[in-house]
Amino acid sequence: MRMKLYLGLLLIVIIFQGSFIRAEAKEIDYKSAEFKAVAQQFACTCGCGQDHYECDPNTCNLTTEFKKDLVEMMNKGWEKDKIRQYYVNIYGEEILTSPEKSGFSLTAWVLPFVVLGLAAAAVFIIIRKWVKKNGNDVLLTEYQSTDDEVEQEILSSMIDEERKKYL
Amino acid sequence: MYLFANATIYIGLAIAIYSLLIITLGISTKNQKLVDSGKGGMIALFVCAAMAMISLFYLLATSQFQYEYVTDYTSSELPIIYKLTALWAGNAGSLLLWTFFLTLYMIMIAYSRKMKGNPMVPYISAILMVNAVFFFFILGFVAKPFVLMDTVPTEGKGLNPMLQNPGMIIHPVTLYLGYVGLAVPFAFAMAALILKNVDDFWIKMTRRWTIVAWLFLSLGNIFGGQWAYVELGWGGYWAWDPVENASFMPWLTATAFLHSVMIQERKNMLKVWNISLIIISYAMTLFGTFLVRSGVLTSVHAFANSNLGLYFLIFMGVAVILSLYILMSRYNLLKRSAGEFNSFISKESSFLVNNLLLVGAAFAVFWGTIFPLVSEAVRGTKVTVGMPFFNKVEAPILLSMMFVMAVCPLLAWQKSTVKNLRRNFMIPAILAIIGMTLMVVLGIQKAWAVIGYGVIILLLATHFLEFYRGVKARRKMTKETPVVALYRLMIRNRRRYGGYIVHLGIAFITMGIIGSQNYDVETMKTVGLGQSIELRDYRINYDRLDQKKEGINDIVYADVTVFRNGKKLGTFQPEKVFYGNWEQPSSEVAIISSVKEDLYIVLSAWEDNGKATFVVKVNPMMDWLWFGSFMIVIGALFALWNGKYGNVTPRYTGVRKEVS
Repeated sequence: MRMKLYLGLLLIVIIFQGSFIRAEAKEIDYKSAEFKAVAQQFACTCGCGQDHYECDPNTCNLTTEFKKDLVEMMNKGWEKDKIRQYYVNIYGEEILTSPEKSGFSLTAWVLPFVVLGLAAAAVFIIIRKWVKKNGNDVLLTEYQSTDDEVEQEILSSMIDEERKKYL
Repeated sequence: MYLFANATIYIGLAIAIYSLLIITLGISTKNQKLVDSGKGGMIALFVCAAMAMISLFYLLATSQFQYEYVTDYTSSELPIIYKLTALWAGNAGSLLLWTFFLTLYMIMIAYSRKMKGNPMVPYISAILMVNAVFFFFILGFVAKPFVLMDTVPTEGKGLNPMLQNPGMIIHPVTLYLGYVGLAVPFAFAMAALILKNVDDFWIKMTRRWTIVAWLFLSLGNIFGGQWAYVELGWGGYWAWDPVENASFMPWLTATAFLHSVMIQERKNMLKVWNISLIIISYAMTLFGTFLVRSGVLTSVHAFANSNLGLYFLIFMGVAVILSLYILMSRYNLLKRSAGEFNSFISKESSFLVNNLLLVGAAFAVFWGTIFPLVSEAVRGTKVTVGMPFFNKVEAPILLSMMFVMAVCPLLAWQKSTVKNLRRNFMIPAILAIIGMTLMVVLGIQKAWAVIGYGVIILLLATHFLEFYRGVKARRKMTKETPVVALYRLMIRNRRRYGGYIVHLGIAFITMGIIGSQNYDVETMKTVGLGQSIELRDYRINYDRLDQKKEGINDIVYADVTVFRNGKKLGTFQPEKVFYGNWEQPSSEVAIISSVKEDLYIVLSAWEDNGKATFVVKVNPMMDWLWFGSFMIVIGALFALWNGKYGNVTPRYTGVRKEVS
């Protein structure tokens, strides 16, 4: 009985060993979406001006190592944000391709919309002012608009005639 | 040759200073002779700039390596076309090109038939002449194009292979034409302010010149994106690099101006705002140059770092302060406008919202571009502000812009009533909602894509209605066939329908951007000979790896056969080029385009055993982007073209007798 159990366990190990090992060194496509999400966060410092997703590992040694490290962390099951935090702790915010959404760097994200909001409010107020200013005039013309329809028709037919000359 | 070439620059500087002084004197003493002398000086200046250009072309073409510029940017085996285009590969040469265009624009204005007898001409000339003095000064003392080497090298350093591409022949030329072009509306604006005369004629001329500059700026950016796409091998076309931003900002503000000036034309309002937009656009061109040439920001457009940028910053500062001073001194005059708005929901308001969004987008780009500097100044950390930032911040702003663009054409001037809104928007809105629902059902479920395409459906529908109603109204009176009616309608309202064509072009570009940004897939695989890579519907068979020699360059290429859904599309050759005189190799990608998508194949690396690594990418809807770009050009040209009918620019007689 015992023997059977051991044999069974051994069998299970043999069957699943492949997948265990594969899980250890799961190959990650450097151009896959999951890798992109992680690697795009980091700026390559070799002077290419690209991020570690775009940077070509054939021409840049720095990114080759960096990519390997990223894959290692991803295989360990680290989330995108955890990896991000890991690098920020070592290199500071300089390593990121876009500013953090906290502290002073938050202003980078927020200011455009604050300015846009304020400008929108200003535009609103200005239009309201102009509309109000004009509102008084409209009231006056409404009283006068008792002109008869015949006159209106003659007028529009004259305009039509004139317009045809220019077509 | 050395003497002659340098003489063109220094004599040019002398002539520019002379012309500036004599025109100014002529204006202040109202002496036509002096002004004419200055205008003559303009031609001489143009000749100087042209001679300098010809000299440099000659030196480059004949590979005279005793000149530093020739050594730095060419080598003897370079094809002649790239020897010539190396003229704008470096600082000094590109500024010479800039100067040449400036002098060209100057004589085009001063001697144009339309401007004959116009008292604005001397003022415009003087303002442009200040620019010319600045540029000749730079060419003469800061970025000198004709400097001799101490020892004559036998071979030049060669042109960066990235720049050896047809896109690079035309991209800088169009971009500079756009940059310089924005100096013209600026000069018009300043002249109008000084003369206290912002009338219809001014609007027509300024608008025209702004469209010219805008068209070239658009072309410059499009060619730049196209070049990046085919040449850089990363499969993208826009990277929000500081230099790209530098040309995108004036594009946005110039677009805003082209729209808000319509309100000035119709309602005589927003004069101060319009002139401010022109000043901002002009300042942005100088600011962009400062960013690029000073090395304060890292950029892929690496120009040699020098103090050149500083001169541009100072010049910009002076120009902005002076123009603001002039604007303020005329403020009361401009403010006296017949401001009249009848409703919140009207074409007028929508133009204001359009301006708000365009300028807001420009500000966001500006802020993102300078934020690394701000951050460094405030807390000593130089952060990178890259693509993820700009994509996130700009997407909602530009998408709202698209919405306004969709709605605006059908809003009435003065006031849109509820009835009018329902009549105009019921069908387009229903179509958009049906379209969006269909997309979700069919599996396009990314929020940006659904909203974006929904807005574009709305835009297409409203624009179609606009054309349809125009044709219908015309036919009612003239009984023409629909095609004739459409044709006549359009050529009699060139600006309006040209504008709509541009709108449609922008819609196509946006569709391309949304498609390629949201639904691209990419893979990187190492395969042995005879093996294949599969991506979406494609199978790429790797057949052969070989090497060939082209001149002094070694080219490694792979033969790949591409199948889509089992059907053979052909054999293609992605290459890697190793240059004889350049360290970095570059990739020549294989692109298989179709209306639906592009297949983009890069040969990335290989091993001795024949295994090769490929990067394969599917970029949806790229052709839509290029088609949209083409429509923009057609639309802008259509609007500019002076047809037989209408658009007659009134000959200006002037408010008072002045020199002209």
